[in-house]
Amino acid sequence: MMLAETAAPAPSVVSAPDTAEAQIIGRHIAVDFTHAGRRQRVLQSVNISIPRGSFVSLIGPSGCGKSTLLKVLAGLVPPSEGSITVDGIAPEEAAKKRVIGLVFQEATLLPWKNALENAAFLLMTADESIAKSEAFGRAEAMLKLVGLRDAENKMPSQLSGGMRQRVAIARALALDPQVLLMDEPFGALDAITREEMSECLLDIWERTGKTIVLVTHSIDEAVLLSDEVHVMGTGPARIIETLPITVARPRGEESYSEPAFKAAEKRLRGLLIESHRRTS
Amino acid sequence: MTEVVQSGMSQDRSDTVRRPLPDFVPAAGLMIVALLLWELGVRLFNVPEFVVPAPSAVFRSLIESRYHLMVAAKVTAIEVLVGFILSAVVGIAVALVIARFERFGRALYPLIVLFQNVPKVALAPIFILWFGYDMAPKLLLIVVIAFFPVTIDMLAGLQSVEPSFVSLMKSVGANKNKIMLRVRIPHALPHLFAGLKVAITFSVIGAIVGEFAGANAGLGYVIQFASTQLDTPLVFSALLVISVLGLAFYYVVELAERFLVPWSPKYDTRQRSH
Ligand SMILES: Nc1ncnc2c1ncn2[C@@H]1O[C@H](COP(=O)(O)OP(=O)(O)OP(=O)(O)O)[C@@H](O)[C@H]1O
Ligand SMILES: [Mg+2]
Repeated sequence: MMLAETAAPAPSVVSAPDTAEAQIIGRHIAVDFTHAGRRQRVLQSVNISIPRGSFVSLIGPSGCGKSTLLKVLAGLVPPSEGSITVDGIAPEEAAKKRVIGLVFQEATLLPWKNALENAAFLLMTADESIAKSEAFGRAEAMLKLVGLRDAENKMPSQLSGGMRQRVAIARALALDPQVLLMDEPFGALDAITREEMSECLLDIWERTGKTIVLVTHSIDEAVLLSDEVHVMGTGPARIIETLPITVARPRGEESYSEPAFKAAEKRLRGLLIESHRRTS
Repeated sequence: MTEVVQSGMSQDRSDTVRRPLPDFVPAAGLMIVALLLWELGVRLFNVPEFVVPAPSAVFRSLIESRYHLMVAAKVTAIEVLVGFILSAVVGIAVALVIARFERFGRALYPLIVLFQNVPKVALAPIFILWFGYDMAPKLLLIVVIAFFPVTIDMLAGLQSVEPSFVSLMKSVGANKNKIMLRVRIPHALPHLFAGLKVAITFSVIGAIVGEFAGANAGLGYVIQFASTQLDTPLVFSALLVISVLGLAFYYVVELAERFLVPWSPKYDTRQRSH
């Protein structure tokens, strides 16, 4: 309710670097949800452009609409206004062509299938005609990529939270998508596992060159991984600033102490605090 | 156990499942003590046999009427078994229809809940009136009593799939039928078995009530007949046979569960260990 009443100031859009071709383009996206008969504007006039092969994070206060924006990019929520294309086509079409891989906060593995079968499951659902051996072969390669070489035959109940999330990532990667959309994939993990996972993700990104869009609450994670961080604010949600991260690549443990890292971190913190203040 | 939890991912973690079957030994011991006290009490206070028979009298009656009881048990067992299977089929079908055809389901569900509030035992005489003294009215009574827990649990199971997983399936182009078949139904199995276990218990009750209302065979009929004869030991023997029958059926369902749903969360050692 509060969101709808506040007038939205003109969004300040920082356009993406012109050097790379934009793979995901969203223009003036608005999303309304009807809840208990009331229409609520959740996203307002979001412009976003994500270059091919880049690592992009979405960060913002809880409930501002990050997940909603990600679902729009994935074609799971149709925007009420505006347009969105992934590789020049509608995102739901792109998803069916296996251009998009999805990872959510909960790993949601099927408890009656082992790690390998879980990793192959979406691929086999997406492509009915694929040979089982091929699907399993790909799933196996992806499990190796996420560092689960020896866990193929384990059931989900035998895996730790971090391992389960790795299987979920392998499951998305098995589709061989060009775009990986991740909604707080490490949100349920402890701090140390979380850092391990971000390094794992960085490694995957460097090796595969996929476009990755990550929703996160962690400033460190966003700075360590991203080329660009989109900071979202409420009232209703829009992108209040797009911050390019200039920390040198390849990044790793030592990146945390770089001045560029600290500067980006400080800037993001400031933006988030400002955004929070306006929310409450 | 604690060590296993702490080490979490260690390779040597034992994979053996802790059996949820009751520990028979202490239970049996307690029962023997109770039976002895019962026997002693009846003898000490000279309780007439037709009021409370001593365990020894019940046992004697059980031996004497064993043929009679066996024939009756067979009749009841068939009623329970067929009735239970019908209940399971009806219960699962109703749940699938409600889950798959959402709009129709929203109309149907309240009616089923409403129907659940009818005291169904009271329907027994009507069923007898309609279908006579054969098996049909008992089966109908069982289905009417026992399909509900199956439907409710199955439905809860079908809806227990996380929305984000459904999103994943949708994003790769899976339609509702595919999601139902590959994800929702297997997900529902542990819940379904919870419902089936209630249903098998209800099926025994349904069969006995059905036989009370009108029958010329079965354990319920034996109980009614024996009590008019003041043959209380036989009443108790029949009760004992019913209980054993019920217990046996229950464990068959439990066994089927362990065989068909080995991944059920209740067999997860990690969740059971704290
Ligand atoms: N299906 C829905 N129906 C109605 N309202 C919804 C729906 N999904 C989300 N919303 C609303 O949209 C707003 C944004 O939700 P969203 O989940 O996108 O936020 P978020 O930024 O991802 O939050 P968090 O950081 O807590 O995950 C919230 O106010 C939420 O209540
Ligand atoms: Mg979210």
